[in-house]
Amino acid sequence: MKQKLLEHLSSLLFVSAILVAVLAVMGMRGDAGAAKKDTLTLALQSLPLSSTRDAFHRALLKDVVNIYYPGQYDKTSATVDAVIQQREVDFARSLQSSHVKERLTVGRFVQILGMYAKFLVIYVLVLALTYYGVQTIGTWRFVRKKARAESRQPRHGLARIARAAALGIPKALAYAVLFSPAYVVAYSVRTEFNTDSAFFMVLLATMCNGLLIVYSNKFYAFLTSESRRGYVETAMAKNLTASYGSNAIPLKAILRPFKKFDGHVFGHIFANTRQQYLSSVKEQASFLITGLVITEMALNIHGYLSYEMLRQLLYKNFSIVIVILLLIFITVKMTEILVDVKMHRESMRFENRASTGGTAA
Amino acid sequence: MIHTRRTLSRDTLWLIVWLSGIAALAVWDTLFLNRPALKLLIGGFVNTFCVALMVIVVTLALGWATTILLHSLEKRKSRIGYLIATFVLNLVRSVPQVVGILIGYVWIAFMIQDGTLRNQFAVFTVMACCMSLFIFLELVDLMRERILHYQRLDFYNALLVCGVSERRIVNFDILWKNSRIHIFNKLISIFGMAVFLQCSIDFVISVGLSTDVSSVNLPPTLGSLLANIDSKQDILAIGYTLTHPGYVGNLFMGHLQGISIAFVIVFTLLSVYQVANGYAERHRL
Repeated sequence: MKQKLLEHLSSLLFVSAILVAVLAVMGMRGDAGAAKKDTLTLALQSLPLSSTRDAFHRALLKDVVNIYYPGQYDKTSATVDAVIQQREVDFARSLQSSHVKERLTVGRFVQILGMYAKFLVIYVLVLALTYYGVQTIGTWRFVRKKARAESRQPRHGLARIARAAALGIPKALAYAVLFSPAYVVAYSVRTEFNTDSAFFMVLLATMCNGLLIVYSNKFYAFLTSESRRGYVETAMAKNLTASYGSNAIPLKAILRPFKKFDGHVFGHIFANTRQQYLSSVKEQASFLITGLVITEMALNIHGYLSYEMLRQLLYKNFSIVIVILLLIFITVKMTEILVDVKMHRESMRFENRASTGGTAA
Repeated sequence: MIHTRRTLSRDTLWLIVWLSGIAALAVWDTLFLNRPALKLLIGGFVNTFCVALMVIVVTLALGWATTILLHSLEKRKSRIGYLIATFVLNLVRSVPQVVGILIGYVWIAFMIQDGTLRNQFAVFTVMACCMSLFIFLELVDLMRERILHYQRLDFYNALLVCGVSERRIVNFDILWKNSRIHIFNKLISIFGMAVFLQCSIDFVISVGLSTDVSSVNLPPTLGSLLANIDSKQDILAIGYTLTHPGYVGNLFMGHLQGISIAFVIVFTLLSVYQVANGYAERHRL
């Protein structure tokens, strides 16, 4: 565990150091560039030339330079033209980008931290919701399948077709939403609902991008493989409840946030599966951040961290982009550290239990 | 392995469903969608799937090479080399895919503007490399898991004793002969992931970076076509239909461009997911 923590912290430090170094280099370059430009501008400003577009002033400047450098008329004329042209280009460029060019100031940094706090709240909420949703959907599917297999009443003929037809359209719609990229769903309902709220963001990030369905299916696969292990049959031989029929595992127990299935073999299957699932939470969190970033960027809502990153990328304000990148990287790393700590604790707990004859691992 | 099933397996069934769905859409669009939009849609579809296929090839090459590199570093007991390699890989793993790819795409757009990248094939290749860089670790994990699994079995040591080189055991006996089904299954999922990421990034770039790094620079894909103002209006019409159900008929006639693009994306993601799951089920992975 110590080694893992060390690795996480060293990579966090490594990336932070690199990004801060890039930030510093960019800052120095920016200052050097500004200083260079200022010298040129000052050199021109020191001359009695109020407008570069005024033909009289241009001619006057050329005459003055010719007096300073006699006998080089062509050369000085070309130099003055080039300097004036450059000054015009610089002026036009500064006018164009004056409203978009930004530097990283303390005020701006605090503003970004505010956006980051919002991002973090949404991220934690969605992670908690998907963590709960994945386990609930996976468990519900597993229990329902087992209960159906026990009841041994497969539907045939008309009953099957009628059921498929009744469930077909809602099922197809549900699948369409679950697999849709969040921006497709958001744009689909934008005319009828306010999609710019944090609530809607949480809803989209939880339901869409395939996150919930992919990981609930993974959880279901873990449950299925775990249920085939030897200890399940041993538990059954020892008369532990193993039936899934006649509401042996009620829906209320499945929907509970902290699931417990005491006295049923499924309790052990679930506990062991949850342990396996924990290892994929890191992957799920990374995918969730991807989905969240895409959703925030695609919806173009001002005041959100990812949209801000996209905007600053467009305006080439790379110092702000780097800070946002660093914040996102810190989020990922902190999640990885927390998951590793949780996994370590769980495995310690399981090992202790195993030694006292508890849940089989 | 079960190869002689009489009924269609789930993966084959979903592959047929996907092909039929796309074919039905193609017929419908040929009949009712205007020519320029149809041409754009076909171009976007082909480009998207070409890049996704290239992602698979690059990911496979990158994943295989990295697995072998890690394995040989581990075997040579080159502790420092192994630590550096895993440190770098874990670092890449910690970068959210979309952020890494977005930066890669902006870089590609600048290269196009500079004239460094000139033809479409080069653009596609660099795009695929960018995406693969943030996806290939999933394949590396799988391959390393398979090698580790077989190293614990007797046949690994038995082959070594028989004089078979370790390189051949890992590359041929473990990865090719005994893991290619697992690898193929992973590649199917990666295909879906590549389509999702590519469409999303192109959508984001086209919507958010519409002035400097516009979709004019990058080859059109389903994502950038969806970000098109016409397509967005078509998608917005779905919301209108929710409160005015009588409008539903217009979706399939008047708003065909956006609806078709959204359908292709969502239907492909769903089908790829089902194919991958069906394949895993069929081969009991």
